[in-house]
Amino acid sequence: MPPILESLLKIAVLIGGLMTAAAYLVLLERWIAAWVQDRLGPNRVGVPLTKIRLFGLGQPVADGGKFLTKGEFTPGHVDKILYFLAPMAIFVAAIAAFAVVPLGSVVLPASWGVGEPVRLAVAPGLDVGMLYIFAVGSVAVYGVVLGGWASNNKYSFFGAIRSSAQLISYELPLGLGILGVVLASGSLRLDNIIIEQARSGTWNALVQPLGFVVFCVAAFAEAGRLPFDLPEAEQELVGGYHTEYLGVKLMMYMVSEFLHMVLAAFLIVILFLGGWHFWGLTGSAEAVSWPVALLRAIVLLAKVMGAIFFFMLARWSWPRFRYDQLMEVAWKVMIPWGLINVVAVAAWMEYGVQLARPWNLSAAQGMAVVGWGVLLLCWLATTIIDPTASGNRPRRDLSANDNCLE
Amino acid sequence: MKTDDRNINWVREPRLGLAGRSYLLLFVQGLTTTLRHFFSRKKTVQSPEERHEIPDPPIYRGVHRLNRDQRGRVKCVACFLCATACPADCIDIVAAESPWTDREKYPQSFTIDELRCIFCGMCEEACPVDAIELTSLYDLSGKSREEMIFDKEKLLSVYDQTKNTEPMITKRD
Amino acid sequence: MATIIIDNREIEIPAGRRLNGIEAARLVGVEIPHYCWHPGLSVAGSCRMCLVEVGTRDPKTGEIAMQPKLVPACNTIVADNMVIVTNSEKVARARAMVEEDLLLRHPIDCPICDKAGECLLQDYHFEYGQPERRADIRPFTSRRRDLGDVTLFVDRCVMCSRCVRFAREISGTCELMITGRGAREEIDVVAGFPLNNKLSGNVVDLCPVGALGDKDFLYRQRVWYLRRHRGVCTGCSTGCSIWIEENQDRVWRIKPRENPFVNKWWICNDGRYDYPHVHDPRRLTQPWGRETGITDTRDWIDLPKELNRSLGEAGRLAAVISPFLTVEEAYLLCKLIRGIDAEAPLVIGPVPEVGEEERFPGGFTIRAEKCPNRRGVEAVIAHFARRVATFDELLTELDQDALQGVWVSGGYKHEWIGQATAARFERLKLLVVQDLFPSPLSERATYLLPGAAYPERDGSYVNHADRLQSVRRAIRPPAGVRTEGSVCWELLGRKGLYNARAALDEIAREILYFSVAADTAPETGIDLKANLLAG
Repeated sequence: MPPILESLLKIAVLIGGLMTAAAYLVLLERWIAAWVQDRLGPNRVGVPLTKIRLFGLGQPVADGGKFLTKGEFTPGHVDKILYFLAPMAIFVAAIAAFAVVPLGSVVLPASWGVGEPVRLAVAPGLDVGMLYIFAVGSVAVYGVVLGGWASNNKYSFFGAIRSSAQLISYELPLGLGILGVVLASGSLRLDNIIIEQARSGTWNALVQPLGFVVFCVAAFAEAGRLPFDLPEAEQELVGGYHTEYLGVKLMMYMVSEFLHMVLAAFLIVILFLGGWHFWGLTGSAEAVSWPVALLRAIVLLAKVMGAIFFFMLARWSWPRFRYDQLMEVAWKVMIPWGLINVVAVAAWMEYGVQLARPWNLSAAQGMAVVGWGVLLLCWLATTIIDPTASGNRPRRDLSANDNCLE
Repeated sequence: MKTDDRNINWVREPRLGLAGRSYLLLFVQGLTTTLRHFFSRKKTVQSPEERHEIPDPPIYRGVHRLNRDQRGRVKCVACFLCATACPADCIDIVAAESPWTDREKYPQSFTIDELRCIFCGMCEEACPVDAIELTSLYDLSGKSREEMIFDKEKLLSVYDQTKNTEPMITKRD
Repeated sequence: MATIIIDNREIEIPAGRRLNGIEAARLVGVEIPHYCWHPGLSVAGSCRMCLVEVGTRDPKTGEIAMQPKLVPACNTIVADNMVIVTNSEKVARARAMVEEDLLLRHPIDCPICDKAGECLLQDYHFEYGQPERRADIRPFTSRRRDLGDVTLFVDRCVMCSRCVRFAREISGTCELMITGRGAREEIDVVAGFPLNNKLSGNVVDLCPVGALGDKDFLYRQRVWYLRRHRGVCTGCSTGCSIWIEENQDRVWRIKPRENPFVNKWWICNDGRYDYPHVHDPRRLTQPWGRETGITDTRDWIDLPKELNRSLGEAGRLAAVISPFLTVEEAYLLCKLIRGIDAEAPLVIGPVPEVGEEERFPGGFTIRAEKCPNRRGVEAVIAHFARRVATFDELLTELDQDALQGVWVSGGYKHEWIGQATAARFERLKLLVVQDLFPSPLSERATYLLPGAAYPERDGSYVNHADRLQSVRRAIRPPAGVRTEGSVCWELLGRKGLYNARAALDEIAREILYFSVAADTAPETGIDLKANLLAG
C-alpha cells in the first residue's frame, strides 16, 4: 500500500470516527447530566417511523439533522469574513491536533501481504509530537477571539476576552505539567512516552502526581469545561462567543469543544495513565501480535472513555470559579506547582540514583516517593499560605481616604 | 457611590478553615454527591404514556376556566379586575349590558391569550365573584397561535370538562 | 383682611373674598371631605361629610372658644378670628359615622360600577371610614332607572342632590327631583318629562358616586385604564376646556376641565359626545396622488418632495385655511403658500353656523359658530394677506380661471362641500386637499392628504372672546395620517419634528395680536384682547 493512500485512509477513518464520536459524546453528556439530576435523559429517538427506541441512540442523528437544516441566517451587524472564518479556524485546529495522537500501538498486518507494521496514528513518526499539539492547540484561541469579535455583540466579546486570557494563562501550567513527563521519558513523541511507561511498568501519574494534577487542571481549563467554562458561562454571557452563531457554524463550535475535551482526555491518558499499557494484559512494549494490538487499542480507548466520563461528571460536581479565582489558580497555584514539579523531576534525574541507593529503592519507587512527597508539601503549603484568598475587591476596613479605593 | 457610603452593607465572605482551603473536601463532596445521584432512582414521569399526578388540584395553576352559575350562565360580571391584575396583559374583555334582569353587566367577549399567560394565578385572586379559576389541566398545546387564544366558549367548555373533578371554590355566593 | 386658624395654621384671607370652610382649608392644603358641596352650585349642606369643629379666638386675650357642636364647613363662611379644627377625634368619628350610614344601604357592587376608581365614596371610606361593617345587609345589585339622557342606579345614590341643583340652577330645566323621605329618598323625574337638555351630561360628572351613568360610557372601560390629557373642545367657538380621556390611542370619554374664564365646570352634550368621528372607519388614512389621470397611493417619505415640486410649478396659488386648524398650523400653511407664491390669496374656509346661540341660566353658552378657531385663523391670514378673502370670493376667482393651484385644508367633522361647489375646482392644474373624510372635493384632488382630528393636534385655538388656549395632542393619529402641522413643517424644510411651541413663539414675535402668548401657556389660556386694546 503506498504511504499516501495509507495516510488518506487513516485521515478518513479518523475524521469520520471523531465526528461520530463527538455526536455520541453529546448524547453521553446529556445522559450523564440527566442521571446526575435524577432524570432519564434522551431515550426516545430510535429508528424513524417505527416505535423502536434503542434507548435514544438515534438522538445524535436527529440533532445533527436539525443543525444542518437550520436556516442559514447571518446577523446583519457582524463582520462577515471573520464571522465565517472563526468557526472554521477552531474546527480545523481541533481536528488537526489528532494527527499525532496514537490510537493504539502498532499492528502487523502480515496477512495482507504488507511487510511494514502500520502505526495507528495519522502522522506516527513525528518527533515533535507534543510541540505540534501545542502549536495547533494554540490556534483554537483565534477561533474563539475572532468569533467573539466578529459577532459585534458585547456578550460575545466578553466571552472572547475572557477566553483569550484564560487560554493563554493555562497554557503555561499545561506546558509545565508536560515538561516533567518529557524529562522523564526523554522524548516528545507520544508513542515513545507510552512505550517508556510500559517498559518501566509505572505510569507517570504514579511517579509525578504533582505534574498530573497541574496538567489535569490545565487541560480542563484549556478545554473550557466546567468549572472553567467562563468564556461561555450561559448564566452571565448567554453563551459567550457563540451567542450569534447558529446552524452548521454553531455545530462546528460545539464539535470543536467536544474534540478539545477528547484530545485532553487522550493526552491525560497517554502522558500520565500509561496509554495502552495495562499490567499483565497488554504484554511488553515490543510484542505486537494481532490480538495484542487490538487489546491495546481497546485498553487505550477504555481509559479515554474513563477520562471523558470524569470530565462530564466534573461538570455537575463543582461550581464555576469566579474570574479572579480562575486567574489566581493559574498564576498563584498551578504555575508554581508546575515549576516545582519540573525542578523535582530534573533533580531526581540528576541525583536520584545516588539518593535512592541507601534506602534500597528502585528508581521508579524512589521517584514515586519523592513525587508524592512534593505533592503533599506543595498542597499543604498552598493551603496554609492560601494565595487565592487575598481578593481584589474594595474593603471597608481600609480607610475611606485611601487612594487605592477611589 | 463611594465605598464609604453609609448605605452599603459590607458583607465579607466567611474565612475558610484549612480543610476548606485545601479544596480537597469540596472535591470529595462534589464528586460523591453527583455519584450518589448518578445511581439513584430516577424521578422522570414518562409523559404521555404516564400521567403526572397532581397532588392538590385546587391549588394547581393550569389552564383557565370560566365558571358558570346555577343557571348555567357565565359567572363573570366583566369587572376587568383580572385584566387589571394580569401582569402579562393576556386577558381581553369586552363588557356589555347583560341580557338578564338580575344581572347588571356581563362579558360580551372574554379572551385569554394562553401563550402570553404566565400562569401566576393573579386573575383568580383578583376575581370578586370566583368566576375565573385555574384548573389542573397542564398539557396545553396547539398548532397555531390563533388556536391558543381561548375565547369565552372555550373557557366555559373547560369548566364543563373539569367541573366534576375539580369543584368550584366559592369564597362567597 | 381676615385672619383665621385652620388646624393650628394661621392664614390671612384678603378682604372681599367670601370663602367657606372647605375653600379656606384648601388654601392651607387641608382637604375637607364633602359630597354635596360643589363650587358651581348652591350650598345644600345635606351630606354632613364636611362637619368640622368651629370656634372663635378672642382677638384681645387670644383665648379660643369652640362651639360645642360640629358645623358643616360648606355652609360656614369664614370670618376674622375664626378657628377651624378638621383633625380632631370628634371630627374623625363624625366622618366615620357618615360613611357608615352611607354604606349601610349601598350595594357594594364596585366591580361592576363604572365609577369605581374615581368614586368619592370609595376614597373617603378608605381614608375616613371604619374598617368593619356592622350592618348585616349583604351586597346586592342596584335598581336601575332610565332618566332620559342618563341612567340612574337608584341604590348607589348618596342623596347629595348635586344633580337636582344642577338641573335647577345651571341648565334651568328642573327635570330632576327627589321623591320620598328619609331612608326612602330617591332621585327621579316626573313621568313623561325625562332629563333631556343639552347640559345633561354634566350631572354624571357631578355625581360623587356611581349613581348616574353616562349611556355613552356605561360598561365600556374601567376608569383606571384611562389617561387624561388637556384639550380644547372644537364643537363651537366657546372653546371649552376639556379633559380627553383615552386608553391606547382610543378616546373613551370627554369631561369638562375647570376653567373660570371659559366654561367654568361644564360642557355641553354636543362637545361631550363629539369624538366618534375620530375613530370613524371612513377616515382617510393614506395619502393619494394623481398623475396623468391615474390615482395611486403615495408614501410620506417621498411625498413632500413631490408636493414641493408640484406647488412650485403650478403657477398662481391659493390656500383655503380651515377654521378647524390650530393657529400654528394656519401660520405654517400661510407661510408655505406665500413662500412659493407671494401674491397667493389666502382664504378662510367655510365657517359652519348652525342655529342660534343657546344661553343657559347658569351662564353657559353654546355658540352658533361651530368651529373652534375662526378668530385665530383670521388673525393669521390678516397678517400675511392684509385682507381675509372668503370662500365665495375664491369660487368666483376659480370660475374666472385666475388660479392654477389651490391647497384646501378641511378637517370638518361632517360633510362640508357639495357636488356643485366641488365641481368648480375641476379645471385646476393642482388641487391639494387635506381632509378627514372623503368628499366630492377629495375625488378631484391631485394630492389627497389625510388630516388629523382634534385630539391628535398640537397647537392653539382662539375662541370667540379672544382667549388663546394651547394644548398637546391626546392620542396619536392613526397609521398613515400626519397632522397638517407636521406636513407643513416638513414642506417648509424645518429641522426635526413639528414643534407647536416653537411655532407659537415665532407667531408671537411676528404677529402683534399673538404677542402675549410668547413663552407662556397657562392651562386656562391667555386673553389676547388686552393686547388689542393696547394696539
